Amino acid sequence: MALLKLENVTKRFGGLVAVDGVSLEVETGEAIGIVGPNGSGKTTLYNVISGVYPADGGRVIFEGNDITPLPPYKRAPLGIGRTFQIPRPFSSASVRENVAVGAMFGTMSGKVGVDESLEIADRYIELVGLSPHRDKAAGSLTPVEKKLMEIARSLAMRPKLLLMDEALAGMHPKDIDEMVAFLKKIKEEENITIMAMVEHIMRAVVGFAERVMVMHQGRKLIEAPTAEALKDQRVIDVYLGRQLGE
Amino acid sequence: MRAQREKYYPLIPVLAGYLILFLIGREVTGMWQLMAMIAFYCALGQAFNIFLGMTGYVDFGYVAFLGVGTYGMALSISRLWRVEGLGIGIIPIGLVLAMVMAGLLSVAVGAVALRLRGAYFAIATIGVNEGFRYLIEGAKIWGGSEGIIFSGQMKKAFGKATASALSTFWADVMVFSIAVIAACITIYYMRGKIGYALTALREDEDAAKVMGINVTKYKIIAFITSSSLAGLLGASAWALKLTYVFPPDAFEIHYTVEAIIIVLLGGAGTLLGPIVGGLVYGLSKYWLAVIMPGFQLLIFAPIIIFIIVAFPEGVIGWVKRRIRGTALQNYFL
Amino acid sequence: MVGQQLVGNLIQGLVLGGVYGMATMGLSLIFGVLRVINVGHGAFIMVGAFITMWMFTALGLIPIIAIPVALIVGMALGFLFFYTAVRRLINAPELASLLATFAMGMLLEEVIKIIFGTEFRGYNWVVGKLTLPITVLPMSKVYAFVGSVAIATLLYIWFNKTRAGTAVRSVVEDSEGARVCGVNVDWVYALSFAIGIGLTVVSGILLTMFIPVGINPYMGGQYTLKAFVIAVLGGLGSPYGAFFGGVIFGLIENGSYTLFALIPGVVPFALTRFLSFVILLVILLIKPTGLLGAK
Repeated sequence: MALLKLENVTKRFGGLVAVDGVSLEVETGEAIGIVGPNGSGKTTLYNVISGVYPADGGRVIFEGNDITPLPPYKRAPLGIGRTFQIPRPFSSASVRENVAVGAMFGTMSGKVGVDESLEIADRYIELVGLSPHRDKAAGSLTPVEKKLMEIARSLAMRPKLLLMDEALAGMHPKDIDEMVAFLKKIKEEENITIMAMVEHIMRAVVGFAERVMVMHQGRKLIEAPTAEALKDQRVIDVYLGRQLGE
Repeated sequence: MRAQREKYYPLIPVLAGYLILFLIGREVTGMWQLMAMIAFYCALGQAFNIFLGMTGYVDFGYVAFLGVGTYGMALSISRLWRVEGLGIGIIPIGLVLAMVMAGLLSVAVGAVALRLRGAYFAIATIGVNEGFRYLIEGAKIWGGSEGIIFSGQMKKAFGKATASALSTFWADVMVFSIAVIAACITIYYMRGKIGYALTALREDEDAAKVMGINVTKYKIIAFITSSSLAGLLGASAWALKLTYVFPPDAFEIHYTVEAIIIVLLGGAGTLLGPIVGGLVYGLSKYWLAVIMPGFQLLIFAPIIIFIIVAFPEGVIGWVKRRIRGTALQNYFL
Repeated sequence: MVGQQLVGNLIQGLVLGGVYGMATMGLSLIFGVLRVINVGHGAFIMVGAFITMWMFTALGLIPIIAIPVALIVGMALGFLFFYTAVRRLINAPELASLLATFAMGMLLEEVIKIIFGTEFRGYNWVVGKLTLPITVLPMSKVYAFVGSVAIATLLYIWFNKTRAGTAVRSVVEDSEGARVCGVNVDWVYALSFAIGIGLTVVSGILLTMFIPVGINPYMGGQYTLKAFVIAVLGGLGSPYGAFFGGVIFGLIENGSYTLFALIPGVVPFALTRFLSFVILLVILLIKPTGLLGAK
């Protein structure tokens, strides 16, 4: 049984069709990349999967259950975690408190108390290397640190599926390689399925994703193993001549 | 579980503060009125802070809950004073009724208004406040625009001496108690899962939802808590002390504004903030009334603007920011 | 008989509503451009009322002359408040602007109180009547209505046909985009706020032409509340919506008063107010963008 199954998912905003009949199956343990130029509907797709936007058509099925009508706060305890492209920390709270929120309301919601959540938070803060900043206000972190905190926070949720939204944008190429290695490591250790969305950092996609779905104007253009997909002529055209490895 | 007890240490300065105010009022002649007034503002601030401070939503119609609580006590006394043997038992009934009525109103308001965000929420709450008041006046419910005067019934039900003691002393003791209760609830929420949920939704409601927080549920909890406390406050500080209730007074928007000032001045969302705010506001108002009567509001107005524009985190908020990362931070909530 | 009274009241309501609507346009404009809710709205109306009264009783000048004076005073106040406080509130949480504008209103009330005292004032400007088949309207009310419509029309022209107005509209659409196109967004904010306040002060004049009594420093509160209802009716942020919202509100206010007066044992005046808030809540629930709004 696929972990996540999108059946013909459609989302409209007035006259604009942002996501147009996208179907996809994601298996447990996969590392899959969602790629596509600006405006191709990737973020909207993420928002439909995490429940921020209700789907106008089609279904979202998670672990065999139809979660299409569920509001976002009910999807997190089921195991769908998400980071945002522009980090959204709870600025006035400390890093520790931020990450603890993930533990408290994620898949362990109702099973862990405040103190336990704080301990879990400490673990993940250390994992991403933010321990020195543990008690600082989240709003005072640098943008990269905020991104790391986002990741720690969503990991603390102990998700089954992690939707990562442009987690690597704005990073130095060296950091990107480190980040990709890090993501692979947590995927193994935490047993999470990661769906990573990147706009154009092909280096990361190649390094991380086994399989890739390319979106264009709301539709799925192609879905294939990474190397194959990125050599496809249609994909190259869509990116206006950009090639692998740029 | 030392860690468990330690979590509640910040309550100590709060309780100490109220105790000091109480003792000053009792031991120093002529200070009772002032201390009682300060206690009222502190209690108002503590209760209001549970909603405004912790969720960041502005209930501009907050005074309605005080008003409804006042009616709860007023109705209890004016309807039950004849019941044989009930005597002083009317007071707890009045308090419970006040709390229930305020709670019910808040459920009704919450169902409507809490789906709305920011400015729309503020406007909706004003709408409820004014609407409720005009309903009472228009349909002549509960005495309509003339309100209820129950001083006579109070005396008949409790005897002159007790009634007087209630109005001049015990009502204020109740106010102190409400302040303490509100403080205890505040720290209990802050240290618990609720506090985390509220902080998250205050900072970024959409991100909070994605993290698994049922924001509506937590908003309602904070709202009902805050409103019920307001009901109790109205029942004691207004009904028992004034012995009458009068719609234009009971729903007067400037009390809400005072509550907002107190919370903001002291530091919204902090435990100590409302005490500091209540103290500063109460003292300032008192002294200004003595020194420059008629000019209080004229002076407060630019001060409010200044605080909002230049000093939005309030006194305690500022202090907390300074001591962040030091050992002190766990005790200074 | 009742029917005739009802229609007569409705006509009065229509006329009053036009003035209400005009009075709310400033509120909607300020919200539309700056996303700031001016809770001190009524106080600015009060300032306009006092300007009119003073100019009439102290200088013997008819209210129509007071209009440009009020506009200038209003815009000056608007710029003053903008540069001292409102500018910093634009990106602040709602609470900040709600409170700060309330404090501004409070400040105005207190200043006026100190200058003029708290007694109720009024003035008497008699210019004849307009006799319609069903009801009689004093000419001052007619002038007030005509004035409201005229100002609303002028605003429409300004918004859509002038460069400044277009700049304002672009900022409403997309402030960042406008900035990139070279629009001086900060100046647009300041100007919009000033015009909004100016409109509000002017509306105070028109309102007193309708109700020339009861002028006192604290008269603004009830108009703030009415303005909120009207603004939501017409769609927060849409000045034209505000105008038509006002007309509808005037009709409902007067119409419901007549009907409530038929019910024994109630206070029709208070019930009318109750009804207006019920409408407010219903609209906020069902169509927060207002009856006429679309954004």
